[in-house]
Order: sequence, then structure tokens, then C-alpha cells
Amino acid sequence: MFFYYVRLALLSYRRNPVLSSLMVLAVAVGIGAYMVIFTMNYYMGGDPIPQKSDQLHHIQFDYGNPDIPNFEPPPQLTWIDATAMLEQTTAYPRTATSKFVAIIEPPGNEVRPFFVNGRGNSADFFSMFDVPFQYGSGWDRSADVNRDLVVVLSNELNERLFGGRDSTGETLVMHGMNFTVTGVMDRWQPAPKFYDVNNGSFDPVEEAYIPWELIISQELNRSGSTNCWQAPEGTGLQAFLNAECAWIQFWVELPDADARSDYSMLVDNYVAEQRSLGRMRMPVEQRLFNVNEWMIEQEVHPDETRILGALAGMLLAVCLLNTVGLLLSKFLGKAGEIGVRQALGAHRGSLFIQHLIEAGVIGAIGGVLGIGVAALGLEGIKVLIGSLLITEWMRLDLTVMALTIALAIVSTIIAGLYPIWRACNINPSVHLKSQ
Amino acid sequence: MLKMTHITKVFRTDVVETHALRDFSLHVAEGEFVTVTGPSGCGKTTFLNIAGLLETASGGQYLLDGEDVSALNDYQRARMRNQKIGFIFQSFNLMPDLNLFDNVDVPLRYRGVKAAERKERVERALDAVGLLSRKKHLPAQLSGGQQQRVAIARALVGEPRFLLADEPTGNLDSNTAEGVMELLHEINNNGTTIIMVTHDVVLASRSARNIQILDGRIIDDRRAQQKAA
Ligand SMILES: Nc1ncnc2c1ncn2[C@@H]1O[C@H](COP(=O)(O)OP(=O)(O)OP(=O)(O)O)[C@@H](O)[C@H]1O
Ligand SMILES: [Mg+2]
Repeated sequence: MFFYYVRLALLSYRRNPVLSSLMVLAVAVGIGAYMVIFTMNYYMGGDPIPQKSDQLHHIQFDYGNPDIPNFEPPPQLTWIDATAMLEQTTAYPRTATSKFVAIIEPPGNEVRPFFVNGRGNSADFFSMFDVPFQYGSGWDRSADVNRDLVVVLSNELNERLFGGRDSTGETLVMHGMNFTVTGVMDRWQPAPKFYDVNNGSFDPVEEAYIPWELIISQELNRSGSTNCWQAPEGTGLQAFLNAECAWIQFWVELPDADARSDYSMLVDNYVAEQRSLGRMRMPVEQRLFNVNEWMIEQEVHPDETRILGALAGMLLAVCLLNTVGLLLSKFLGKAGEIGVRQALGAHRGSLFIQHLIEAGVIGAIGGVLGIGVAALGLEGIKVLIGSLLITEWMRLDLTVMALTIALAIVSTIIAGLYPIWRACNINPSVHLKSQ
Repeated sequence: MLKMTHITKVFRTDVVETHALRDFSLHVAEGEFVTVTGPSGCGKTTFLNIAGLLETASGGQYLLDGEDVSALNDYQRARMRNQKIGFIFQSFNLMPDLNLFDNVDVPLRYRGVKAAERKERVERALDAVGLLSRKKHLPAQLSGGQQQRVAIARALVGEPRFLLADEPTGNLDSNTAEGVMELLHEINNNGTTIIMVTHDVVLASRSARNIQILDGRIIDDRRAQQKAA
């Protein structure tokens, strides 16, 4: 009977193609617009590392200056605390990490020197964040300690420098020094870029990765945000390092609840110790945040998407209201046919299902068209904001497409409930008398 | 077969109350061919609609095949219409999107008949009205008389024991009407009970039994060879 009803629905579509196409269009536009916003929220709000997001933790220290009103404790760490935390325990994978920029001098004379965005990080960074490798691997902890000149390249940079071949073991000149390549990353673009949300949560990942200590020991150009709440005492690098200036992200991987409480105690003890030294005078409510807690705490999801979401929801509602009216006129226009069907043995239930399927078919066609509208909308958004942030994750995958069609069918059926109810309650005798 | 006792039907609107049927009692036996006549607005269609379970009576008792239909719910009434009753309307009421085959197929769909059997029965019914060769045509491609024959095929495909016809020849010229009447008589000869509303006095006078309605009441019930019941 299902296929019979689907066929009837298609025939009915054909009978008034204009009216039916108007409905399909209304559904397509409403659903399409909604899915554009949904896709944006879906990816922006998504868990960037679902397999580990509850194990990876960022530290929030009690930073601030009680004399500055409304001072929000900065989310990053000072050099003193980052180095201290690296040394506190090596029992858990952990990484201090921050950005730098440097000039790379390619071998030969064909390519001119160029700037790269780099990242300093500890050896554990790669395994903690499940960074995929195309060739080779990261370095080990001894390279951190020995300040080895090693580098991991993004696959784009490897393409640019080595034509995409396996470059492990080769050297490259960066910041005037010879770095040895230990590995080349595969394409990797967490969205949000959770491990560094203070420097553009949807920015592209960095191109070159080196042991974090090198940024200081080799005096590379730090980049990324820096928050100070007390002027450095004196001038020069050492004075800056000792100052109350936060510029380092710090992550630790805590595999279970025991590890979390263990590490949490360690952090608390450290804070107590620092307090006795006169530091950390702005108490915070929480010091350890897992990835999702951190995303919320740092308000990674832009407010604009929420407003756009509400607007898209309203547009969808208007389109569906429109569909209610169109369905009503379509179904009531079939009063005669409904009367005949009742005379021939249709009960209300079967009329209900017939029209439910008819609404569903319109919804399904609208949904398929809605995918097209959504795809166009996303392309438009990429053109608008593509220069501001990475948008390659904004695409319609199968899940989103299936969701689009499902949402279209369900919402058209909901829009159809009143028209369907009216259609099923048509008094057959009135419409059979004559025409 | 059909037994109505003291049936009344009142249509109420905000302004008026119309008594379409008053104290309407009628017994129709299996195999009868009954014509119903009366002036416009006297209640003929209302009577057919109640008889065909498309409308419920306001009062009185109606037994169809010995079953009191006032107790039935929508589902049971639909089932009864589907299995026992065939309808023929003055304006044919074929479904314009469906071809002849699919039009005739509708009652069998609601009965849940298997595809192979449906095909066989639909083709037999279309053959009986002489339109099998046009089964793929749409109703609009047929003349009025042909459309009415399709409607008859549709009414008969489920082999109902009871056929209700509301002015089946009202929209046809006299020659075509003659053909349709022959078809109905043949159906009746095969045992189907027929109640037919008509304006045509000649047709009425030729039937075995004619009842005449005036103002919602039976004022005459005449059988051709016997005395009135
Ligand atoms: N749905 C309705 N609502 C209100 N009044 C109705 C309704 N249906 C019928 N009537 C009234 O009931 C009376 C009988 O109507 P019915 O259709 O049975 O007449 P009829 O004998 O079939 O007439 P005709 O020969 O013109 O078809 C009429 O006065 C009509 O106005
Ligand atoms: Mg009438």
C-alpha cells in the first residue's frame, strides 16, 4: 500500500504542478537556509577530538590583579608556570605550546626565503592530539631536554619545500639554523582548533613544529596573544620571562578520573605554594578543564551563529506556514476524490496515511532541492568569510544530507497535519452529490 | 437485505433545520431492482447516502444484511461499503489522474486483494462494460457514456451484493442511457440488489418496484405485478 500511496502522491503532484512546486520550493528554501546555519553550528560546535576530549585538559591558574576591576583571569600560562608544570611530573603526557614566526631559506636558488607560522610544543603534543603523520613521526622527550633542532612539517610545507616526498632526515634552514625533519604530518585541521583557542579558534594549523624550549633558547619570534597584569621588572628577555605575562597554552592528558584528581591535587598544591610567594591572588572556580569544558569556558562558539540560527529558524517557520496554506488548498481541492475514495471503502485511517505520504513526498523532494540550496548557501558563506577563517570543514557530508531530507520530510508532515486532518474529515456525501 | 424503520434525517445549520427524511420505513429484499423517484429536494440522495453508509441517520433503525449499522465505527462502515456496496454517481466521479485500470482497481486496493487477482478482476470488469481495450486511457479521453460504464465497472469489480445508483443516466443522452440501463438489468439478473434514483418516469415505470418520495416520506411503493407492500 505504501508504494501505491507514493504513486498517488506523485500523480497528485503532477495534477497541479504549480501549486506542488511552490510547496517544494518553500520547503527547499526554508530547509536549505536552516541547514546552512545548522552545518556551521554543527562543525563549530562539534567535538574536535571526540575520542579524547574528556582526557585532554588545559590548566587555568588564578591569574590576575585584584587592583584591576573586572579583570578576567587570562586563559594561558606564564613562562614560569609552564616550565614548572612541565617539570612537576612526567607521569602524564603533557605539552607546553605557543606560536612563533620564522623565515625559512629553501635549498637552491629557485625559491625565495619566506615566513612560516610555526608552533613550539613538547614531544607529547603529537600523540596527545592524535596528529596523523604522512612520513616519520614527532620527536621524543629527550629532544625536548636536549633542545635538539628537529622539526615536523605540515604536508603543505613539505609539498612546498620537498615536492611532497618523504623528507625525514633531511635538513632545512629556519631562523638561520639547520633543522632536521623528523616527520611530515598528514592533513590535519581540528575545528575548532581547540588546543589554541586564544589565537583564532578556526585558524589554519601551523606549518612547522619544533621543541617548545627552542623558542626561548634560540630566541625565535614569539607570536600569538600575550596578556600581562603586572609590568616586567627590568628589560630584556629574562625580565619578560619572569613577568606576570601569560602566553603559553598547556595541555595534559589524564586517562581517567583517578589521574584527574591526582593531577588536580598537584595543581592545587602548586597554586598554594605560589600564593605563599605572593602570586596567584585571584581565585578561580576551576583549574582543570577538559576539551569541551574549555570550549565553553573560552566561548569558542560565536554568538553570531546563534543569532543566525534563530533567523534561519524563523525563515523555516515562515516557509512551513506557507506550506500549511498550500497543502490546505491542495487537499481541500481534492474533496471530491476523497469522497469517492470513502464511498469505495477508504476509512479515515487510510486517507490519513495517503495524505501523510503525499505531504512526505513533497517534503522529500523539497529536501533534495534543499540540499542544493544549502550547498549554494555554504559556498556563499565561504566567499564571504573564507578569508577570515578556515572553511574547508564546512561541507555537506552524508550525515548532514540525510538530516536535511529527514528534517524536510518531518517538518512538511508536521505542516501537513492540520490540512491532513481536514482532508480526512471531509463529509463524503456533500461532495458526491453533483459537480 | 435492507431494512429501514422510522429513519429520520435532520440537517441543522445555524439558521435552518431541514428534515430531509421523516419516518422513513422501507424493506428491500435480496435481488430486487428498486427505482426511487420524487421531486428535487425530496430526500432521494439523502436516502441513498444513508443506505450506503456515507451518512448517518438522525433517528430510527437501519439494518443492512441484518446488521444494525448505527453501532459501527468509521472503520467498520468503510469495510462494509467496500465489501457489500457499490456506488454509481450521476457525475461518474472517476479520478482524473488515474487511468481506467487504476480507477477500477481502487475498491480492490482497499480490500487488500493481491496484485495478480486484482489484475484479473479489473480486466474482467472492464471487459464486461466493453472498455478493456482502453484500460490505459484517462477518464478525460472518454465520452460521458463510456465514463459511466467505467464507473459501473468500478462499482462491480468488488462484486457487491448491493448497488446504489444516484441518477446514473442523468448526464447521458437517451441512447447511451438505454445501454447503461441494459447493463444494470443484466447485473440485477445476476443477483445484485439495485436501488436507483432517477428522474426518468419511463425508466421508473419499467422497473419491478418503484418508490416515490415526497418531502422526506415514502408516498408510493408500487410493484409491477403485485400490490403495494
Ligand atoms: N449537507 C446538507 N446540509 C443541509 N441540508 C441538506 C444537506 N444535504 C441535503 N440537504 C437538504 O436535504 C433535502 C434533501 O436533499 P437531497 O439531496 O436528498 O434531495 P434530492 O431528492 O436528492 O434532490 P435532487 O433530485 O435535486 O438531487 C434538501 O432540502 C436539501 O437542501
Ligand atoms: Mg439528489
